[in-house]
Amino acid sequence: MKVIAPNGDKLNLMPLNIGPSHGATHGCLRYFCALDGESIVATVGEIGYLHRGFEKMAERGTWQQVVPYTDRLNYCSAMMNNIAYCRAVENMFQLELPERTKILRVIISELSRMADHCICVAAAAQDLGSTTGFFYLFDSREMMMVIWEKLTGARLTNSYARIGGLYRDVYEGFEEDVLAVCKQAEKNLSDVHACFDRNRIFLDRTVGIGAMKPERAIQWGWTGPCLRATGVASDLRKDEPYYDYETYDWNVVTGTAGDVYDRLMVRLAEIEESIKIVRQALKRLTPGPIDIMDPRIRVPSHALAYQDIESLIGRFKSVYEGVRVPAGEYYYGFEAANGELGFTLVSDGSGKPWRVKVRPPCFTQFAAFHELVEGSMLTDSVATLSSINIIAGELDR
Amino acid sequence: MTPEAQEGNIFTSSLDFLVNWGRKNSLWPFPYGTACCAIEFMSTETARYDLSRIGSEYVRFTPRQSDVLLVAGTITYKQAPILKRIYEQMAEPRWVIAMGACACSGGFYDCYCTVPGIDHIIPVDVYIGGCPPRPESFFDAMFDLQKKVEDESYMKQRAERLKEQIEDIKRKSKECREDLVLRKNEACEMVSNTVRSKVNDVLDVFPFKKGR
Amino acid sequence: MNFFETLFPVLETKFNVEKDASAHWDHSVIAKASVLRDLITFLKNDESSKMEMLLDIVGIDYLGFQDYEGPRFAVEYVLKSISRPGNRVRVKVFVSEQDLEVPTISDLYPIANWQEREVYDQYGIIFTGHPDLRRILNHVEFEGHPLRKDYPAHRRQWLSTNDFLLPALEKRLESKGYKVVERSKEVLPNEDEYLTGSIQE
Repeated sequence: MKVIAPNGDKLNLMPLNIGPSHGATHGCLRYFCALDGESIVATVGEIGYLHRGFEKMAERGTWQQVVPYTDRLNYCSAMMNNIAYCRAVENMFQLELPERTKILRVIISELSRMADHCICVAAAAQDLGSTTGFFYLFDSREMMMVIWEKLTGARLTNSYARIGGLYRDVYEGFEEDVLAVCKQAEKNLSDVHACFDRNRIFLDRTVGIGAMKPERAIQWGWTGPCLRATGVASDLRKDEPYYDYETYDWNVVTGTAGDVYDRLMVRLAEIEESIKIVRQALKRLTPGPIDIMDPRIRVPSHALAYQDIESLIGRFKSVYEGVRVPAGEYYYGFEAANGELGFTLVSDGSGKPWRVKVRPPCFTQFAAFHELVEGSMLTDSVATLSSINIIAGELDR
Repeated sequence: MTPEAQEGNIFTSSLDFLVNWGRKNSLWPFPYGTACCAIEFMSTETARYDLSRIGSEYVRFTPRQSDVLLVAGTITYKQAPILKRIYEQMAEPRWVIAMGACACSGGFYDCYCTVPGIDHIIPVDVYIGGCPPRPESFFDAMFDLQKKVEDESYMKQRAERLKEQIEDIKRKSKECREDLVLRKNEACEMVSNTVRSKVNDVLDVFPFKKGR
Repeated sequence: MNFFETLFPVLETKFNVEKDASAHWDHSVIAKASVLRDLITFLKNDESSKMEMLLDIVGIDYLGFQDYEGPRFAVEYVLKSISRPGNRVRVKVFVSEQDLEVPTISDLYPIANWQEREVYDQYGIIFTGHPDLRRILNHVEFEGHPLRKDYPAHRRQWLSTNDFLLPALEKRLESKGYKVVERSKEVLPNEDEYLTGSIQE
């Protein structure tokens, strides 16, 4: 492709397609660059390769049947999506959950956040050529997977949260397992820091690469760790606290430069903060009910359904008709691992949602991808892409 | 057994056995990972499950160097042509594993944009159920595939391939010959036409000779 | 609660907006499409609101909605303030099936570019003045708009060959001041393959 540059130079650019199936594109996304030598002059992104029709499927089932679909949005931290969706629906009922459920949801969310950040940094390390960092981070993640298996029966897509409660109470020995994971994660973090912090190759490939200014990041709608890496201390857990996050002792981690290094390090530091929250939450955990007692919203348990006819009818109605969410429209944003996961819910008062719109956090980050990489080298685009943590299931829904 | 073989470090075997032994213990996967199943495949690679036990740790991201196309995740209509092209780019012998409910049948995405199973596009050797399948079931699929590879006959395939090639050559040479004959006739016709027209031109110039 | 009670009268006098009766749990206003750009600019820049971030653009199809009379579609803009945490407002614009047009706000918020493309893709609502209104989630050969209520969920549409990004790349180069003199040959689509392609029904 022959072009004339703005300064009058004649350039011979090479168009290069990367993705949708490429080792460096995690999941299915594609970008198309015009290269001058090895530096990127212009690039355009294309998404939609994993568009699975989440929103159309959600309109076909009942409100509870959306929960398994939310698992597959951000599959690296599946339970967090369940909790975000259930909380949005519960807000429409204006429910107050039992204390134990709130604390359990905090523990599960923070563990999911740790798992998500582990995958993001591990994949970034793998892309930068550090297989050791990849193995260290996956080690503590595999321990979490064992907890998920014991808790829900599934490793990845768990569907643990329910509207008005949780699927079931935790098993015996849950606290010890979580504490063991926290300890192991701390050990692995120190190992990973030993790998990266003074590593010339890692620093050369990340510091100053793919930088974003805070004003521009806000205009692009960035949220979560990527926004915090630019220096904006915006975290919904502090700004609009839910589940008593304001009573825990933890800090919002921010970066300074907003480059690849900051984004990865903010994630690693957030794992430490999550460990802090989990430890505090475990101390508050007291026995108690986990479901609200309202057969119109939360399905009565099997034990009750086999004993009295009211609960049996409640079960039938809940399964066949779904919960009747009050008519109206609502937007709710939840601080997920990647940023603000928003649900716009439209209800017509029946048991089926009229419209469920997801606001995926990484959609906005990938939309700004061309600003991050234009002018840099082709190899830097790989490091940049892995640092903004694109999850295709969430990006394309 | 020949005396050389008895001296050690030499054993005899059928070529089929040897080739299949080599193939089945180094099945290099091409992970066409799109969704959740790809994350489980990443877990399979790591220390806890350790894919290198069966010689498959060498994940290749180019279809030209890999043996097994591992389709992990939902395939939508938007990426169906890409999957097909990647399959076409792989060299023989090639095998395909459909990992997860979405790749097998579309899973619970029964919708306007998802392909209901990748076998609408490419042939599949092993299907793995589950949403997503556990790493153990992935190993199970690899063992199934190894059994399948064991049963294949290199010599038979080679003979078939040779037969195909010979037929191909025959067909092509026949086509060439027909083409040549056709062209020869055309050329002759052209030449005769020009000669005739030339003669006519001459006759036109010298009309008096016409009468003779 | 306080911020919206002070903000709403200003919006009412300036832009003639109404409160959205269906928003029981957060704040939403209904605006006319003609004042949308002024309203969003005001919300973005004015000291009293400072909505710096556009979170989402949502399309809604009300075909067959219970006890509903009015235009068929609505487009909803979800805005959030960063400098004043906790302040959020939604702006809703009704769009009738006949004209289907809303002015673009992609010059005010860069992220609106992709979000408007998504609403166009799913509902067919045209954003006038949008620089590059293409499909984003569905493929190029897709016909119809899948999230409309009258689109059957099972109507599948095959794509024959991979879609093609060179025109978009050239547009991007031109927007940066480059001038394309000669287009590259090797990545131009083959006319035979394009739209008939390797995959057939």
